[in-house]
Amino acid sequence: MNKNKLNRLFELARNEPAPAPPDGFAADVLRAVYREPQATTLETTSIFDQLNLLFPRIAFAAAAVIVLCVALDFGLTTAGMPGLDEGASQISAQWLLTPEEFQL
Amino acid sequence: MNEDAELLERIRNGATDDFAEIVRRHQARVFAVLHRYERDAHKVEDLAQETFVKAWRALSQFDARAPFEHWLSRIAARVALDHLRREKRRRNEIGLPELGDDALDWLRSGDEKNELDARNAAELLDLAMRELSPLDRVVITMQEIEGRSVKEICETTGASGVAVRVRALRARGKLRRALEKLMKDENEQKQTEPSV
Repeated sequence: MNKNKLNRLFELARNEPAPAPPDGFAADVLRAVYREPQATTLETTSIFDQLNLLFPRIAFAAAAVIVLCVALDFGLTTAGMPGLDEGASQISAQWLLTPEEFQL
Repeated sequence: MNEDAELLERIRNGATDDFAEIVRRHQARVFAVLHRYERDAHKVEDLAQETFVKAWRALSQFDARAPFEHWLSRIAARVALDHLRREKRRRNEIGLPELGDDALDWLRSGDEKNELDARNAAELLDLAMRELSPLDRVVITMQEIEGRSVKEICETTGASGVAVRVRALRARGKLRRALEKLMKDENEQKQTEPSV
């Protein structure tokens, strides 16, 4: 069996006609499609689905903010400056209600 | 091509019935691809249905960078590969079918220009291809029968370009040896048959 003969066999086999699809094949496929669970193309997403999808990112962002605040507070305290909690108290006293006003 | 895009857009917007029109447009092509791997017409029909259902499921992933027909052909080839893997053990158990005299005469003759009809050639090739692994068969069929590029074969099979070339080369060698063995077996069988 030489190379040319194998090539000739490929060439001859290439010309074989395929079986014709039976009548109603498209309708059969459509019936099979309708039996499928909800197709991805037709899916609708609610706000909860979207939140579920976003949850890992939201959780990661929240953890990052917490870590950042702890690191900043530690840094400020080490440098002898008022920590974040004191800063928050000052802001609260200046711009919002003082603890005394709360007690009233 | 543009008509496909419009139709697909309508399907994505909920016009599910329009998928039947997509099937009608591309069914001949899908049957042709699958027939390269499976000679039983009923099984080809089942595989074609599986191909279209898989295409339906993955429709949201079709990005229209390549023609829809190419995308669908790739799905059909993957369905054929899965089918060959499922069928391999069973086919080894049922033995080889009888080849026609025309195919055997062509195989024995030294001149490749001798005529052999397409059906007999495909039967002969199918028989020899049973010696190949399912992936090798898909690679050599896509390359030699369908005339696909190495890049397209890589996209379908997930193999690298080097792996595809090596597999194609190895498959050609195996096919040659399988056809030689077939010829030898038939000659031996003729010699052992009692003369009338």
